[in-house]
Amino acid sequence: MWTWEPIRVRLSSLITAYWADPVLTAVQILMVMIGVILVMAFYTLAERKIIGWMQSRRGPNRVNLFWVPGLGQPFADVVKLLFKEILVPGDANKVLFRVAPFLTMIPALAIWSVIPFAPQKAFANIDAGLLFILAMASLGVYGVILAGWAANSKYAFLGAMRSAAQIVAYEIAMGFAMVGVLMAAGSLNIGRIIESQHGGPLSWNWFWLFPLFVVYYIAGVAETNRAPFDVAEGESEIVAGFHVDYSGMAFALFFIAEYVNMILISALTVIFFFGGWLSPFDGYLPASSLLAQPGFFWFGLKTLVPMFGFLWLRATFPRYRYDQIMRLGWKALIPVTLVWLFVEGVLIYCHVGPWKGHI
Amino acid sequence: MMFETLLFFAFSAVLVGAAFGVILARNPVYSALLLVLCFFNSAVIWLMLDAEFLGIVLVLVYVGAVMVLFLFVVMMLDVNLEELRKGLAGYWPIAAVVAGLMVFAILDVVVVKHLGGVSLGAAPPLPADYSNTRVLGEALFTRYAYPAQIAAVILLVASIAAIVLTLRHRPGVKPQNVGEQVRVSAKDRVRLVKMAPEKRP
Amino acid sequence: MLDQYLPILIFMGLAAVLGLALFTIGWFAGPRRPDAQKLSPYECGFEAFEDARMRFDVRYYLVAIIFVVFDLEIAFFFPWAVSLRETGTFGLLAMLVFALLLVVALVYDYRKGALEWD
Repeated sequence: MWTWEPIRVRLSSLITAYWADPVLTAVQILMVMIGVILVMAFYTLAERKIIGWMQSRRGPNRVNLFWVPGLGQPFADVVKLLFKEILVPGDANKVLFRVAPFLTMIPALAIWSVIPFAPQKAFANIDAGLLFILAMASLGVYGVILAGWAANSKYAFLGAMRSAAQIVAYEIAMGFAMVGVLMAAGSLNIGRIIESQHGGPLSWNWFWLFPLFVVYYIAGVAETNRAPFDVAEGESEIVAGFHVDYSGMAFALFFIAEYVNMILISALTVIFFFGGWLSPFDGYLPASSLLAQPGFFWFGLKTLVPMFGFLWLRATFPRYRYDQIMRLGWKALIPVTLVWLFVEGVLIYCHVGPWKGHI
Repeated sequence: MMFETLLFFAFSAVLVGAAFGVILARNPVYSALLLVLCFFNSAVIWLMLDAEFLGIVLVLVYVGAVMVLFLFVVMMLDVNLEELRKGLAGYWPIAAVVAGLMVFAILDVVVVKHLGGVSLGAAPPLPADYSNTRVLGEALFTRYAYPAQIAAVILLVASIAAIVLTLRHRPGVKPQNVGEQVRVSAKDRVRLVKMAPEKRP
Repeated sequence: MLDQYLPILIFMGLAAVLGLALFTIGWFAGPRRPDAQKLSPYECGFEAFEDARMRFDVRYYLVAIIFVVFDLEIAFFFPWAVSLRETGTFGLLAMLVFALLLVVALVYDYRKGALEWD
């Protein structure tokens, strides 16, 4: 079994013991980041393949890797984007134009620092984990606004404004859905939120908080500007929206951020409503059996389902009109969450449901 | 401890620098963004003071919401700042008075209360399962429940004021009414008319 | 508590470094042959008539203001939900009044047509 221990010892002899831990953390963080970006790369391939199959096409099948047609497509895309010219339009605000992609990408990656991949396996086991997630997620809008404004192009500006108003509207619904999860768990710590759902699929939050789960997932799709809420990009109306003037690697950063955010929303859906790393057999099989063990395996497996949902939605639904988006966000999702928060309060008060530590 | 002190000075330095940038930048968009940086650094400093909830809420509310509104205004109003700046220099006496008062207030806290004999002392160590948010929630919804309600009333007034001030209905728009569309029945849309077949001449 | 936040700081730093690395590689690997046509703002082949930064519908501000109000309400909901077990019935009732005021705001917005997008 390969362990960290020898490397840790060598590292601590190389640099003083004081710095060994942060450096080690940094190495691990880098590995997780590259892992996430690799998953994201293959997610783009999965998207093209799955939507292809849904539309009776083959999807990408030219770039072979390990004799599998199409498997090398993400790497081919990366190489292509690397060697493309990065354009900075003449009328653009040069500094902000270059900063905007980073402002989208850093929050998207930073949220992964509080995600527990397995029991006790999060980089930052902070007490206010959920609050941190909501705060970081609200920073994503800056990249979009700045990109649209800095480019000094009408399409980009329109896309940015649409996107900002939309993200802002759905963030409220998302926040209220999170309040419901908090009421159930009684803690902001992500690990505790998962542990509080212990006891098999029926005691996971989705069962008692089903409306909140639906609202959260829909708001997540809207927050990431994915179809059917992709008016910010809207190829047929404003060509590509806020990143129309970006090319090459600058565009790739937006692209990475968008897909990393999709994976993140999927992971968070699983954590909040489907028990994170808890095993679905937990509570049915004896706790000692192999299948009932919690772990990364279950977390990863469950996360794939909402990830597939993103692609399915895109292949199924036509784009919403802007007034319809605003109506859904303000007039449907927010009232639904408020009503369900009230119901949940009554349930907790009347000792109905699996919630620990009733009032 | 050493490392924390270092971090504190680093973030404070950036904070002060960014704050100067906010008032010195010529482009209002840069000012707004530097203000974001200010909030971010203050949030980190609050975190270092164990004010976990407030620190993150500062990012959530000010950076994630208030500054977005600021950016909207600054970017879309398209104001010509040079014109606005023209008469600005004449206001320096008022600015000096306000600045003097603020410096006095800060000196009062830092020098007189802290250095002048009354030591604030080190904060007591926190228990192991201390949750900043929970403690705050307990205080807010038991002891300070009444101020919390007043805050809710203020927020209500704010949203009403915003609507009264900005909402203008454009005449002549025909919005889609989903309720009406759903409630419609075949009877309202199609009229079946009974009529005798026409005779062939 | 603070030591738990150090990894987040490192995480953000590394994310910035990673982004910067990708950007820099792209900057130097790609060609750079600018010309006037290429650098003009993209407008589907048309000449741009005017500056792209135009005045916007006041509705966008209204949405942003309502968002600020509701975001603050969420900031109040969070500590309440966490301390639900400690504050008990009184906390529940306090939040009920608080939430009712929020609902009044929402209903007002709704009835006035502020949430309408026409």
